[in-house]
Parts: sequence; C-alpha cells; structure tokens
Amino acid sequence: MKDLRELIGDDDVEPVELARLQRVHDLLGKAGPPPELPPELAATPEPPRAQVIPLPRRYRFTAVAAAAVVAAVLFGVGYLVGAVPDQTVDRTVTMSGSGGASAELDLFEADDAGNWPMELRVDGLPAGSYELWLTRDGELAEPCGRFAVSEPQTTVPLNAPYRLRQFDGWVVVPVGEQEAVLST
Amino acid sequence: MSADSRTDAELLRLVGTGDRFAFEEIHRRYARSVLGIALRRLGDRERAEDVTQDTFASVWRSARRYDPARGAAASWLYTVARNAIVDGLRRTPPPTVDDPPEVVSPGLGPDDAVEADWLAWRVHRALETLPEQERSLVELAYWSGLSQSEIADYVNVPLGTVKTRTRSALRRLADELDEELR
Repeated sequence: MKDLRELIGDDDVEPVELARLQRVHDLLGKAGPPPELPPELAATPEPPRAQVIPLPRRYRFTAVAAAAVVAAVLFGVGYLVGAVPDQTVDRTVTMSGSGGASAELDLFEADDAGNWPMELRVDGLPAGSYELWLTRDGELAEPCGRFAVSEPQTTVPLNAPYRLRQFDGWVVVPVGEQEAVLST
Repeated sequence: MSADSRTDAELLRLVGTGDRFAFEEIHRRYARSVLGIALRRLGDRERAEDVTQDTFASVWRSARRYDPARGAAASWLYTVARNAIVDGLRRTPPPTVDDPPEVVSPGLGPDDAVEADWLAWRVHRALETLPEQERSLVELAYWSGLSQSEIADYVNVPLGTVKTRTRSALRRLADELDEELR
C-alpha cells in the first residue's frame, strides 16, 4: 500500500490529525476496494409487491421453460373446457333488416345477479361497428354491447344485465346512430 | 456528503411507509457495501448479486420493523444483509474445490471474518458519503495502482489539487468512521 504522505503531500499537518488520517488510511487498506455494481444492481430494484422466493439465476431458464409448459397445458385444458358449451339456451331471438341482413340472438340462462349471457350471430351486415340495444315502445332503451363486423358472418358474445320483461324488442344500430339496421 | 442529507434511520422509517424515493437512496448508499460482504462470504459473483437483490427486497418488506432505539440503521441493514447471505448459503451449496471463491480471506477465523466484514461494510458505506469527485479520487489512489501524478493526469487536475482533495476525503472519512478510529 502507498505511504500516506505520498497521497496527501508533505504540507503541514498537525501530528494528531496526521495520526487520525493514518488510521483511516489503514482502514481503507484493510477493507479493500468496494465492488463495482453490475448494471442490474446499479439501478434500484423494483420493490417487491409480495413475499417472493427468489430463484437462483442458474435455475431461471429451467423455471421459464417449466412455466411455458404449464401455460401450454393450461391453455389446452382451457380450450377444451371452453369449447364445450355449458350453458343452456333460454330462448333465441331473430332479427332481420334490409338487403337480406339477419341475426340470431341466443339468450342463455341468467346468473343469480341477473346477467343474461348472449351470443349474437349476424349475417349480411356491411363492415362497421354496431351496437345491440333493447327497445321499449320502439325507442332505444338500454345498450347490450358493441361489436365490429368485418366478415359476412360474425358471432360475438354479449351481455344484458337487465330484467328483460321490461323491454319489448331488440335492434342493432350502427354506432352513434338511432336507425336500426336489424330489428325483431 | 450525500446529496440527500437525511439519516439512514430517517430513510428507513420512510421506506417502512412505502416511500420509493427513500428506498432508492438507501439502495444508493448501501448497494456496494451489501455486494461487498456478499462477495466476501459467498465467493461467487452471481450468487452475491442474487443475495444483494434479496437483501433490498427484505429491506423493503421489513423496514417498518426497524426501531432506532435498538440500534443504528447501518447495523440493522448489516444484519439484514447477513441474513440474506445465510439464506443464500442454505439455498445453494458453496462452490466446489474446482470453483474457488472469487475473494479469499486466508487465515481468518469466524470472529475475524465477522470483524473484517463489519469493517469493510462501514468503510464502503463511508465512501458513499463522499462527494463523487473525492470518492473517485480515493478509489483511484488506493485501488487503481496509479500514482498520484498519474491520477492527476488522468483526471486532468494539478497534482497539488489531487493531494488536497485526497486529504479532504480522508478527513471526511475519519469523521464518518469516528467509532472505528477510537
């Protein structure tokens, strides 16, 4: 290690002060250099949101691969389960419009909260964005969802969280318009 | 001196309330100290970096339990770091003989090793309190292998200024390390 005098010069330094600096000098020698931080530690880590059990870096590839396999299996199971209809159609409503456009609306059984899951199949509507509405006395009353059409035939899931007996019909209107292109 | 004049204890109290900026300042002050003792203990850079991250995750979660009446913040942080190191040792086996430690402490018994860890912890933390200009000068003077004249050329200031700044830095360190100097 270098001599203290070599580092701070030969200017007058009180003996007491010099002894103090010498002790610091010795401590620096004993402690050795602090490590340089790698880039991933130079930035403050994101505070953890919950208790986590960190995985050693050497196992991280394995963990990512395992997570990918699990995700694929779950996706497959979800696909199979999702493909099996588990709802009973309560009723089907048909709608028609100009130019041969038509629609069928399957209403499934309502849940305990009063939500009516639906599936709307439209055929022959020009490409665009539309909304399904419930009507009362021929007027738009409550919206039941927005959907887009880009193919001649389109099927979309929708929901009507209303007491359907309060209404008397269904219509499909272009978004932002009042005029129905399909109606019951 | 750090740009943030709040004490470590004040910062820990704020970290305990979820203050992200206080956490960043604690990280800035202690990241190198934590990595330093993790390297000394684990002898493996990758594991030491993992432990450093674990330490700050623990600080974030446990800061609200820090009680200034029971000890200095630096001591509390040192304990958190050492616990993370012990956990790191439990989680992964030590390196084999064919994979020797990166940093070796030859001939140190357990007590000496603990004392050496604490000393390094305090000195490295004290370095972080220096103005950046003085800290880099000290690191160059002690650990770069350059002479003061070479350092003067490297940082492009007169030799006398390098020596004056080094002396000033050592004085600040002496103040910061007052307990260790007694």
